[in-house]
Amino acid sequence: MSAPRAGTGAPARALVFTLSVRRAVRSGALWGAALGVITVASALSYERVYPTLALREALARAFGTNTMTIALFGPAPHLDTVAGFTSFKVSLTLSVLASLWGLRAATGALRGEEETGRWDLLLAGPRRRVATTAQALAGVAVGIVVLAAACAIVTALTIRSTAGGLRATQVLGLGGAVLAAATTFAALGALTSQLDRSRHDASTTGVVVLAIAYALRLVADAGLGLHALVWASPLGWIEELAPLTAPSFVAVVPVALWTVALVAAALRGARIRDVGAGLLARDDRGRRHRRLLTGPGALTWRLLSSTILRWWIGITLGAGLIGLVARKASSTIGGSSVREVFDRLGATALGTRAVLGVASLILAVVVSLLAVGQVAAARAEEARGHLDWLVASRVSRVRWLLWRLGAAAIALAGVGVLEGLATWGATASQGAHLSPVLLFEAAGNLLPPALALLGVATVLYGLWPRAAVPVSYGLVAWSLLIVIVGGIGAISPWLLDTSVFHHMAAAPAEAPHVLANAVMCALGVLGIAAGVTAFARRDLVGT
Amino acid sequence: MDAPAVRADGLTKRYGRTVALDHLDLEVPAGQILGYLGPNGAGKTTTLRLLLGLIRPTSGRAEIFGVDAWRDPVRAHARVAYVTSDVDLWPALTGGEVLDLLGHAHGSVDAALRDELIASFDLDPTVRVRAYSTGNRQKVLLIAALMTRADLLVLDEPTRGLDPLVDQVFRTYIRQARDRGQTVLLSSHELSEVEALCDRVAIVRAGRLVEQRSLAELRQLSALAVEATFPGAPPDLRAVPGVHALVVDGSVLRCQVDGSIEPLLRALAEAGVTRMTSREPSLEELFLAHYDRPDVSAP
Ligand SMILES: Nc1ncnc2c1ncn2[C@@H]1O[C@H](COP(=O)(O)OP(=O)(O)OP(=O)(O)O)[C@@H](O)[C@H]1O
Ligand SMILES: [Mg+2]
Repeated sequence: MSAPRAGTGAPARALVFTLSVRRAVRSGALWGAALGVITVASALSYERVYPTLALREALARAFGTNTMTIALFGPAPHLDTVAGFTSFKVSLTLSVLASLWGLRAATGALRGEEETGRWDLLLAGPRRRVATTAQALAGVAVGIVVLAAACAIVTALTIRSTAGGLRATQVLGLGGAVLAAATTFAALGALTSQLDRSRHDASTTGVVVLAIAYALRLVADAGLGLHALVWASPLGWIEELAPLTAPSFVAVVPVALWTVALVAAALRGARIRDVGAGLLARDDRGRRHRRLLTGPGALTWRLLSSTILRWWIGITLGAGLIGLVARKASSTIGGSSVREVFDRLGATALGTRAVLGVASLILAVVVSLLAVGQVAAARAEEARGHLDWLVASRVSRVRWLLWRLGAAAIALAGVGVLEGLATWGATASQGAHLSPVLLFEAAGNLLPPALALLGVATVLYGLWPRAAVPVSYGLVAWSLLIVIVGGIGAISPWLLDTSVFHHMAAAPAEAPHVLANAVMCALGVLGIAAGVTAFARRDLVGT
Repeated sequence: MDAPAVRADGLTKRYGRTVALDHLDLEVPAGQILGYLGPNGAGKTTTLRLLLGLIRPTSGRAEIFGVDAWRDPVRAHARVAYVTSDVDLWPALTGGEVLDLLGHAHGSVDAALRDELIASFDLDPTVRVRAYSTGNRQKVLLIAALMTRADLLVLDEPTRGLDPLVDQVFRTYIRQARDRGQTVLLSSHELSEVEALCDRVAIVRAGRLVEQRSLAELRQLSALAVEATFPGAPPDLRAVPGVHALVVDGSVLRCQVDGSIEPLLRALAEAGVTRMTSREPSLEELFLAHYDRPDVSAP
């Protein structure tokens, strides 16, 4: 006789492990394959665009020491080789994506399951709670191995077709870096899952740490003489691993120490915390803001203001940081073919403006995430049934959605102003005299792609509420991927057109594309109109 | 106003191939308490959500005081308050803030009644929703619904998770609401609650209305509950006309009889019954009888 089974075909003792493995392996294989495809696409595009040694050397001279691109995308040694270029082009993207995956997998396995109440039956007593947490994490660990393996296998299988491809050890190293990134942030997710009260909070804390890690390594690489800071950032450790160019195994030490410490703390936390609660106590008594809560508008403000404020602060700091290093970075660009290289990246001016133009892509992605995030928040309100209470009384659902979209519009407008101010202030402090008009124009130029994505997200929300959020975030990722991989011209124009960021000018390096911006804004407004109309006619649906 | 509080007219809702509600015709006159009963998955919640304009009818219409619930929800809902049992409220707001918000969303609130309700239900309004127990979250919604003095209260299993004391408070306020002329549509699995509160009951099964009468009528028309004791094993009475819901427990037999009781009396006498009692069935028995018989069709 076998152990009791619970419909999953798994022995009940290892049930949590089995469920966790199943989830993690499926998504790990998918994401890993995607990471492999990104790597291969980058290597192939390099061979297509820079077929000759002369071109490659020109590229290396222009970018090998450009602190701005290095700060944004990571170090760029050996740009005259496939491995070097690929490392520059995708290393950081890969580690950020793998980190996000690890974070998501850990918080999902630990808090997602717990929130559904499915664990309540398994969690009788503290001993069981530690065992359950350990099993869930073991499942995630298997998923991480699958993620890294899938990335390495896809890369190895497809890279052979290219002439100067990557060596087997390099591909293995790439898998190792993915493994390290995912492990580091899965360990973080395990800990935040114990500290915070819900999966949403645990992931948010994790993403904030990731953003700080990115900023730390940005400063470390910005040529300000602060390179030691790289050791203070988990993303910095992965960067130091440098699997494709100059592998440094020392960086394995902080990764291992961090992982062991965080997982141990997480297990300890699982033992002492209450199910459904977090270790960080929060104030459960509040003042009554009676004057404020007078309707859906006031509620929207009450629920969203702190989040939007955090976005604003984050974007202002980010833009300020970029503005601070831009002038210095521009002075490190050398070589006669710089203009050509910038042309390929979409920027046609030199100096500080060129650097700001290159950086605008990252800011545009963040602003788009903010826009899509507003639709995601609206969907979450609906899915949890909160909207029912308003619609069942005298609040029109259309009015509610318009308030939400209005909040998104205010958030975006605020970004435009703050980003412009931050860039202007930061560049002026460094003695780069750029006209404020130019900089505000560039800040405004970040908004049309975000508005277009907001429109698409709203249509999806009106038509397919359950799919809207993942698909919309997917679109942002897709758009970014397309410009990263195809930005140098190695991708079909038709595919390029599907990326909103491709249509955005690299302002202030070049003038905003007035027509493209108008089209994106129109798309956004049409999408919002269509989405609101569809929303007015459909059922409210739960999770 | 003459319009009934609730009117459903051929109201139908399909989810793909599932028919959640099948041509429901229902009328609740103003000033009544209607118990809305049915087994799990019968379509009760679906009906109430259609009435509130949360989901869209596949066909038919739902009206509240003569106003179409889907086309003009804002006007229809001016006179409605809604409570369900799956309560997920804004976790970051305090109970008091939720009451303010829902009060404003509804438009008018009897502030004195609200304070009285908070005291009677023993709710601490300064606590954030995420720190409330299930029952306390339920209380927030009940208070929010009652404090508006809405003309129609739509209640979907409103007392799930409440302790008996709070349950009593709830019943008191519902009776008070009826006495003030408010209408109540109460879906519940608590038959004692329905029996204690409702003037009429409607029973749905598999998306169809199978019965809608006053409790008294239902009792008169319905089966009589019979319990008979025999010296030995009870006889097989399945063939006796009108008899159903037969249960044999040792030498005791229980059953229900529709229509004439004569054939059963004759059969019992023949079998040498030693003791027999009969009484009107409880709501629970009526309810079970309606659930058991697959042959019951819509009127
Ligand atoms: N969103 C949905 N998608 C698909 N099917 C649904 C949906 N909502 C309800 N149903 C189906 O419609 C039928 C009626 O469901 P409903 O929730 O109205 O039942 P109920 O009478 O309230 O049951 P209970 O007593 O369990 O609350 C069920 O078969 C249910 O599975
Ligand atoms: Mg129900």
